[in-house]
Amino acid sequence: MNVTTTRFGELTVEESKIMVMPEGMLGFEETRFILLTPQSLAPFCWFQAVDNPELAFVVVDTQSCITDYSVKLTAEEYEKLGLSDSAEVVFLAVVTMAADPFEITVNLQGPIAINPERMLAKQIVLEGGKYTTRHLFFDPAMKGAVTAQQKAPRDRAVESLSASNS
Amino acid sequence: MLVLTRKMGEVVTIGDQIRIKVVEMKGNQVRLGIDAPTDMRIYREEIYLKVQRENQMAASWNLEDLQKAVNYLGAGDKE
Repeated sequence: MNVTTTRFGELTVEESKIMVMPEGMLGFEETRFILLTPQSLAPFCWFQAVDNPELAFVVVDTQSCITDYSVKLTAEEYEKLGLSDSAEVVFLAVVTMAADPFEITVNLQGPIAINPERMLAKQIVLEGGKYTTRHLFFDPAMKGAVTAQQKAPRDRAVESLSASNS
Repeated sequence: MLVLTRKMGEVVTIGDQIRIKVVEMKGNQVRLGIDAPTDMRIYREEIYLKVQRENQMAASWNLEDLQKAVNYLGAGDKE
């Protein structure tokens, strides 16, 4: 099907690559998204609403932000994502862009959990403590040095969700 | 909305598994102790609103900034 986007023009995507997010992103009504992973923008991906050309989020694999990122999903979340016990879950973090790269933050407190098998997604909200909504993407302690995991190719699980590999 | 009055130390139960107890009252603050299945997400409402606001901010990005960030990563690569 064709998806119209404000930033990237008209795209043709396979229906099977459309992710359904029954509850949408918090604060937004749209419920169908596609993930696009242009090589030229790695490690960033972009999460585009199918039914609203203007709505798109920059996202990254949470693994490229923090190596040991882990979220324990609740039984209710498992059910909503249609996950079986052993199923793999992909966690993406929403990126808040900034003109200065050092001010770019990732929202690790509200990750998007995706069940790749069913193409079902849900934004999870985590109680405070471990992760924040404004985690600096480039670590200031390292003078913003690029880390190995940021340079690493995108995870295969993330690539497999992609509606385009251009 | 159901409104209940509770004194210090008193409890409200919701269903079979959730108990909310008033554990401290100080000025205009009330501390609540919550017993609930560990598997349940409980958070202060502000956190939900914070994520919502962050989504709003994240949704207004431009390609130029994204390209800049990608270039920066690329520059790091060559060093």
